[in-house]
Amino acid sequence: MHALSLLFKQSGFWLALAIGSASTYAFAADEKASNPEASKSNTPTQVTQSVAAPAPALVPAPARRPRETRFPILVSEKWTGPTLADGQPDISGLWSNTIGNHGNLEDPQGGVIGEARRTPLGPRDQRAPSRVTDPADGKFPFQPWAKAKVDAFRIGFHNPTDPSHVEPNARCAPGGVPKSLYWHGYDIQQYPGYVLFVFDNGSRIIHLDHKPHLPSTLKLWNGDSRGHWEGNTLVVDVSNHNGKALFGRSGEFVSAHATIKEKYIFSKDGKRFNYEGTFDDPTVYTKPFTITIPAIKYTSAEESDGWNLEARWAKHAGKAQILEHDERICHENNGGFGLGATETNAPPSNK
Amino acid sequence: MIIALESPVLKQPHPHSVAYLALARRFLLLLLVAAIAPSAYAIDAKRPRSQDKKPDFSGIWETTSPADDDLEPHTARRDAAPSAGVVEGGEIPYLPQALAQRQKNFEQRHTADPKLKGWSLGVPRGIYHREPIQIFQRPRDLTIVHQFGHSVRTIHTNQTEHPDDPNDWWLGDSRGHWEGDTLVVDVKHFNDKTWLDAAGNYHSDALHVVERWKLVDANTIEYQATIDDAKVFSRPWKLTVYLHRHPEKNFQLIEDYRYTLDYDQYYPPKPN
Repeated sequence: MHALSLLFKQSGFWLALAIGSASTYAFAADEKASNPEASKSNTPTQVTQSVAAPAPALVPAPARRPRETRFPILVSEKWTGPTLADGQPDISGLWSNTIGNHGNLEDPQGGVIGEARRTPLGPRDQRAPSRVTDPADGKFPFQPWAKAKVDAFRIGFHNPTDPSHVEPNARCAPGGVPKSLYWHGYDIQQYPGYVLFVFDNGSRIIHLDHKPHLPSTLKLWNGDSRGHWEGNTLVVDVSNHNGKALFGRSGEFVSAHATIKEKYIFSKDGKRFNYEGTFDDPTVYTKPFTITIPAIKYTSAEESDGWNLEARWAKHAGKAQILEHDERICHENNGGFGLGATETNAPPSNK
Repeated sequence: MIIALESPVLKQPHPHSVAYLALARRFLLLLLVAAIAPSAYAIDAKRPRSQDKKPDFSGIWETTSPADDDLEPHTARRDAAPSAGVVEGGEIPYLPQALAQRQKNFEQRHTADPKLKGWSLGVPRGIYHREPIQIFQRPRDLTIVHQFGHSVRTIHTNQTEHPDDPNDWWLGDSRGHWEGDTLVVDVKHFNDKTWLDAAGNYHSDALHVVERWKLVDANTIEYQATIDDAKVFSRPWKLTVYLHRHPEKNFQLIEDYRYTLDYDQYYPPKPN
């Protein structure tokens, strides 16, 4: 528990730091205030830079794509865009969700539940809709026991009194399914037989070759994924899911008994996709539900915003702007949010 | 010498009119190469190639070498199979004070080895650790997914350079280029939190690794790493291991996020 107490202390420090720089960019600051991890980075170097910059107002804010409050519905149809040699639609690149992150799933732009706001929320219909698109009321169809657990998490999250109140992702566990898709931006790569997702925390290898799933007794943070393309839609069946990665700071979850069917539906121009994940878990919910996550593709002309587009322009002799992402390794709580834990657990110094 | 012979043929596409001649030349060259190859393996003409005609390292690989137990020659221990070692010349050329630290690491290895925490293994250790790695290859880069920790390493092969920042990464920054059919990778910008094996061999944040990846046949990679670190070693030194393609049907990586084991029992919520 010693490491944990340090972790909480540390998160308070980062929250204060984030609020301290709030006047610089209104929207980004608002998101940071409700999300201490917005100021977290995965490299110690960047953490140091954050601490060492006493006057963030002097640093121009990088251009950031505005958050969407509405997004187009995309339907599965024939793919008419460019394809790869193996026939897959060519959708490789750096992607990120468009409406918010992991603070609150039923009201994605409503801030973390139970957190004091500096500015009051406006009418609900001026913010993005619930990530739950089925049932139509946008609510997770919890069984009563599960709702009670989630309610307890939402209180404990702000002042943890039990290890289960800490979101596992804050300890550098993989974001899992589906949270990785509305956490930091990510890289989708395609290879014959595979679609590879490189997330900020963890990676997913989608196998397109119809091999059987792993033995069902194996339970994994990101599950075991088998996919295939149906026109513009990547259809993925996720099994072997361990249910441990919570969906976000609002605490929703599925158990290891869930079945998950995913559709990644790409637009004709290849510039965006909608994720539709259908989760069926009769041990936690009263009926299946669907989560929809809109995403956009970033271009090499865009500069990193440190969150949705977490990449840099490569150094090279040519003139082209080539985006590349740094290594994304956080399994040791080595970012700002958990830095205290890292120092506690560090092995004897080599020096 | 092999490189000089091979590259003019393989780098340039040939018009159809000379294709037959080119093939014949290539066959002769391969015969010649096979005859004089200094590698432990003869170069195999059936090595897979990517769309851009480079050797194709795509696949799931693992070494059979006990290098991760201890890079240096050693007899059997309770925690290590005997091995003649994988270091050219036998022993790692430590500076005197660094040798004392290595000895301390060795004595504390059962608690101090960063691998025991499930942390990233770094470069080159992640390559010869006894768990599979999967290589995904495209012209602009190679992406290595290590089963252990599922850490992802990018080797850029698009003429880009190391960033200027004094970065401090678990896997360093990898920039590769092709010398004939050998992928040569320059890796630097490391942190000092990883070891080189389970026997306490270590490095500082001044580590600089130059890797040479060579496909000696369709199912075997020769991996050489030249390791330099002026804070720890008196001169650069070299290790060589071989990686073998996993032949099992339907073989796949299985995520290994063992660093979560200390707390994963708290999730997900369960009925009372």
